[in-house]
Amino acid sequence: MTISLRTSALSLATAFVLSAMPAAAQEAKSRLDEVLSRGHLVMGTGSTNAPWHFKSADDKLQGFDIDMGRIVAKALFGDPDKIEFVNQSSDARIPNITTDKVDLTCQFMTVTGERAQQVAFTIPYYREGVGLMLKSDGKYADYAALKAAGSSVTVSVLQNVYAESMVHAALPEATVDQYESVDLIYQALESGRADTVATDQSSLAWYMTQNSGRYKDAGYGWNPQSYACGVKRGDQDWLNFVNTALHEAMTGVEFDFYAKSYKTWFGKDLTPPQIGFPVEYK
Amino acid sequence: MPMASISPFLDQLWIARFVILKGLGATVSISLLAIIVGSLLGVLVGLALVYGNRILRLIVRAYTDFIRGTPVLVLVLASYYVLSTVGIELGPFQAGVLALAVFCSSHVGEIVRGGLQAIPVGQTEAAKAIGLTFGQTFAYVLWPQALRQFLPAWVNTAAEMVKASTLLSVIGVAELLLRTQEIISRNFMSLQFYFFAGLLYFVINYGIERFGKYVERKTAVPS
Repeated sequence: MTISLRTSALSLATAFVLSAMPAAAQEAKSRLDEVLSRGHLVMGTGSTNAPWHFKSADDKLQGFDIDMGRIVAKALFGDPDKIEFVNQSSDARIPNITTDKVDLTCQFMTVTGERAQQVAFTIPYYREGVGLMLKSDGKYADYAALKAAGSSVTVSVLQNVYAESMVHAALPEATVDQYESVDLIYQALESGRADTVATDQSSLAWYMTQNSGRYKDAGYGWNPQSYACGVKRGDQDWLNFVNTALHEAMTGVEFDFYAKSYKTWFGKDLTPPQIGFPVEYK
Repeated sequence: MPMASISPFLDQLWIARFVILKGLGATVSISLLAIIVGSLLGVLVGLALVYGNRILRLIVRAYTDFIRGTPVLVLVLASYYVLSTVGIELGPFQAGVLALAVFCSSHVGEIVRGGLQAIPVGQTEAAKAIGLTFGQTFAYVLWPQALRQFLPAWVNTAAEMVKASTLLSVIGVAELLLRTQEIISRNFMSLQFYFFAGLLYFVINYGIERFGKYVERKTAVPS
């Protein structure tokens, strides 16, 4: 190809791309329009972690994450039930967003900078921390006793790249045993393989409520983290919409829905946001 | 298991009976589909490996080695995610069955190849000598002998498929293991329910083994 030919080919290509761009921009619809025309929301979540996302005895998905999806569905269609759940493992949370298998994922996803490079996070809908659970009749009375016992304490924890350092931030010398699922970390404590369980305070609270009297909280919390839903990057309209829905559930017209769900899954009553000056600017 | 914990377990088992049945149904149908499709495809792979021309043999050999060398979980994830990037949208169930069937086909292919190649060349020569065509030779002389050779290995592969079906929980297929985990996340009776699920998996695989034994008896050379 001669230089002049190459130049004209290039300019032709540029002209083609430029002429196509405004049309492409017009055609690029937001996920918001797609969801609205589909008539229901497709949300990715799990089914094996109470009180976040788990099945009732009659095989219905329930939990705090599920309710967050219902808030978005209600904002979209005025109907919290217009939602199709895609059952996914924790590992599938990000891939299912990036490959368009779901419109949105709400699955106790901790907000991290690393993940924020792959998906767009909504505003957080819950603030989590890690706690320690002991057997009521066990060897150790509380956090101070665990810390004093040093390396003779074994902690069961969910498998995670941060698990070891997370536990050691509270109990620097403890032995850390990692397990694949929540039931197994509890089983380790129950069977005496571990002296304490380190996991999310929300999960511990739920478990202790379900097994009243058998366990106790060691009285120490650490490792703050935010839970947010995730959507695909690059669709500001859709992200804004989900943010608005969640924000108004925590501070505005849908507060009762959020507060009722909070009470159901965490057993606490929330104080309604004050009337007057918006809470965000205080 | 202490006696005291049996009664609450039975209560929970009764509550969860339909959920377990659904999971069992999913596991059985995934495994059956994967074994049937995988075996049919595997027989073709085996035939291509033995009777194909050089180019076909080379292609099929590459397919078999590639699939056999890939972990099933990777195949499962690939059929769910990679295919959708090229516009083939499979649901979790379809993607899972496809992955297991492909995996099964590579194993059955090798089993069929081994079975056919284990038959002494003299048999084919003798068949030719009495005037049988290749088709007749294959149907009446080679296949019945090869079938007997590869039945035990095929039973093993079929049992592997049942076990591998548990991996489909990763892409959200509600098979027996995921169903069991869902029940456990509600009542936290992990040991009891995992034990029960293990028992069900054993029953399925025992059924496959008995079926294999039955076919072996049916195809045995009368003594």
